[in-house]
Order: sequence, then structure tokens, then C-alpha cells
Amino acid sequence: MNVDLIVEALREVFPAETIEVRPVPLDEVFVALPPSCIHPAVRLLVERFNLRHLSAITGQDLGDGIELLYHFWDGRGLTLRTTLPLEATSIVTLTDLIPGAAFFEREVSEMLRVSFNGHPDLRVLLMPDDWDGQPVMRQGGGE
Amino acid sequence: MPKMTIPIGPQHPVLKEPLGFLLTVEGERILDSVLRIGYVHRGIERLCQERSYVQNLYLMERVCGICSHVHTTTYCQGVEALLGLEVPPRGLNLRILLCELERIHSHLLWLGVLAENIGLTAVFMYAWRDREIALDIMEELSGGRVAHSANVIGGVRIDMDAEQVHSVLVRLDQLEQLMDAFLGVIRHERSFRARTRNVGHLSAEQVLRYCVVGPVARASGVDVDLRRDAPYAVYDRLHLEVITHDNGDVWARTLVRALETVESLHLCRQLLTGLPDGPTAVRAPRRVPPGEVVSRAEAPRGELFYYIRSDGSEKPARIKIRTPTLTTLITLRDQLRGIHTADVPTVLAGVDLCIACADR
Repeated sequence: MNVDLIVEALREVFPAETIEVRPVPLDEVFVALPPSCIHPAVRLLVERFNLRHLSAITGQDLGDGIELLYHFWDGRGLTLRTTLPLEATSIVTLTDLIPGAAFFEREVSEMLRVSFNGHPDLRVLLMPDDWDGQPVMRQGGGE
Repeated sequence: MPKMTIPIGPQHPVLKEPLGFLLTVEGERILDSVLRIGYVHRGIERLCQERSYVQNLYLMERVCGICSHVHTTTYCQGVEALLGLEVPPRGLNLRILLCELERIHSHLLWLGVLAENIGLTAVFMYAWRDREIALDIMEELSGGRVAHSANVIGGVRIDMDAEQVHSVLVRLDQLEQLMDAFLGVIRHERSFRARTRNVGHLSAEQVLRYCVVGPVARASGVDVDLRRDAPYAVYDRLHLEVITHDNGDVWARTLVRALETVESLHLCRQLLTGLPDGPTAVRAPRRVPPGEVVSRAEAPRGELFYYIRSDGSEKPARIKIRTPTLTTLITLRDQLRGIHTADVPTVLAGVDLCIACADR
């Protein structure tokens, strides 16, 4: 996979000032995008570059927002990064493009109260059905 | 025929680990299934934010009770990258030696579980007997059969002398000879083939769609292995043949894993004969500079993923763990649809699930 080509294509499609590219140790590139660009960007990765392997989705509470990291891999790592404001923690699901994202999104949803619009089944994945709280958030882990 | 809904699990006869299913059946045929996991969720991702990097070594080792060493390997690899530490070559060789021994023990353990589930108790007994060879070697090297505590940030805390190297090489040859019997059963035994051929089929397209990794992907013809495609540690210096098969059923998964076990024996031999001299570890500072890293390794079940973020303190700000089983679990719905209830144990055992890994 040529990460440089992908980054170039992302810059062509989205305004360059909205994109921030940063190399990370162990051969990984992080590309930051606004939340509304994530779904179109992943569509571009899947349709133009046939990059379909999503390794994981990391969600983390930064205090002033919830950051989502979409980690792709195809010989080299490429991570798309976006931050959701605390007052509107929702984003469009990727399950229509990558069905394998279903469990990753369910986990982020229950751990950080992020809503994935269009997800076919957002039940809890790991926590008990009656658990009240988001364990990976700084505050509000529950019992 | 009326439809019925049957709950299976969380405690059930197939696996020792808890996994819940609601199967909708019509007669003997399965129409649909609903999966429930999380019964062994321990909150490890949250717990590790409250422990130091060194304490987390012992926590990461307990994500999985089968492939504990590859978890600490992936974790250490990430933390060492953040610290900018270079692990001495001897330390890396010994670290990967344990990874490959762990793959051998994991694949043989799984072969035994599958054989027991399809009624081949003798194969189960022999697989678990021969697995002891790998466990004995790991115990001699590290003091632990399953939890080795061999990795430290900056290298490994184990070492071996020339006599030990010779003794391990002799036992690896023995194990390779014993593997011939298992390969014979898998390739030719009629009852084994009857229970596993065309059961639990996954196409290459399904594998790619669900982001499936490891031997399950390779048995469906998807040629991917991090050890070759993104070589970490010492894999760029080793000769590795990646095993694939096009059948995509439980039988192909068995053959791929058995041949991978033999391949791991070859890798162990290369690691031992080319063991460099020198120290096995370097000292690591307690504080990790701010930054983030993505670390991947090929665990026995496929790509293991760690994301580690440091805020400059003695404790990580966030660690995300994605284990290979999590994506394999999504495929179970497709694999179970349309099969007979009698084949449910074969399908569940056939994908080599590690529920503790998936639940974390």
C-alpha cells in the first residue's frame, strides 16, 4: 500500500487545511480529518485503493472531546483521526462500507457513549445489559 | 416444521470459556443465531490506565491464557518505540523464540479441542501429550508454562546456554517427527474429513468483508501474515513460508494450522542456530515521553493490535487492544446459518476462539 498516494488523494478530495498528516513510530501514518469527512474518506480508501482491512477503532476521552481513531492496515498502517465535541458525540457508521466494523463500533458506543448513525445493531457488546456508565470515560465509569 | 429458539451457553459443552448463543432452528437446521459475549470482560483497558508501564506487563500477560507472551511482546514493542529503545539482538531472538513456541502450543491445544469435539479422543490425547514438549521448553526457559513473564521493557529476562540450545533442538526434531502423524490424520483419516470438509465455510470475500485475520483468513485463500508482510523484531532475517489453502472450511483451517506448527518449528531452529551473543535487555526509564504508537504482531490467531498513548507520566493515558478473535466472532452468524445442529461444535471449535482475548 502506498500511503503517500492515499494521503495525496485525500488532500485532493478534501480541503487541504482540514487535513493534518503525522508519522507515528512503527511505520504508521495518522491523518486527522473533521468528523463529517470520515465516511467519504473511508469510501475513497475502499473504492479507489481497495483498502478494506480495518484493524480496530480506538475511542478515547480527551476531556474536551471524544477522539476516534480508525486504524487501517495493508502492509503499512494508516490511521484516520477525528474528534467529536462532547455535546454531539455521534458519527456515521462505517458498517455499510466495512461490515467488520460492527463490533468495533458497538464497543466504542458502550464505552464512550458515541452513537453510530445507521449501525444495524448497537446493543452492548461487552458490558452487562443493566450497566449504567461508560467505563473508558474519565468520569462516569459506573458502579 | 415449527421454528424454535434454543439458548446455548454461556456455559456450554464446546468451549471451556463462556459464550452465549440464541439459535433459531427449524428441525435440525439452523436458520439464524444471535451472539452474546462479555462474560469474561475484566475491564483491562481501563485498569491499565491506573497502573505503571511495568505493572501493565503483568496485566497484559493476563489478557489471554493461551497466547500470553505475544501480548507482552506487542505491548513492549510499542513502549520501546515510544522510548526509542533498541533491544539487543539476543533479546529479540529469545523473545521471538518464545512467540513461536507459543504458536506451537496454541495450535496443538486447538487441534486437541477440535478432535475431542468431533469424537476423535485419541487425537486429542496425542495432541495434548505432544504439546507438553513445547510447554516443557517454555517452562525451562522462563519458569512458567503459560504465563512466562519473559518480556521486560527493553528486552527479555531469560537466557539460555549452549547445552540448553542443544537440548531444545533435539526436542524440536522429535516434535517435528510427531507432527507427521497428525498431518496423516488430517489429510487421510475418513471420519476426520467427513466431519470437517465443507463445514463452516468462509469465502475469501467474506474474510475481507469482516476483516478476519490469521489462520482462518489464510485457510480461505487470503495470503496475509504480518511476520512476512510487515516484519517486526527479527522476522526480516528469517525464512518463513506462509501457509494458505483455498477450501475455506474447518478441514482447511486444521491443515493450515498443522503446517504452520511445522513452519514454527523451522523458525525456532533458525532462531536457535543463529542466536547472537551479547546482552538480552537494556535498562528502560520509568517515564515514557509523550506520544502515541500502533504496535502489531502475528499472534497464533492472527493480527494482534495495540494502540498506546503516553502523556509523559509513569502511566499510559490510553491502551487499546484488538485481539484476532473479535472479528472472527462476527463470521459465526454466516458460518452457522443453514448447517445442522450437530455441526455447531465443529464450527465453534474450528475457528479457534479465545473468548478471554475478545472480552478483555
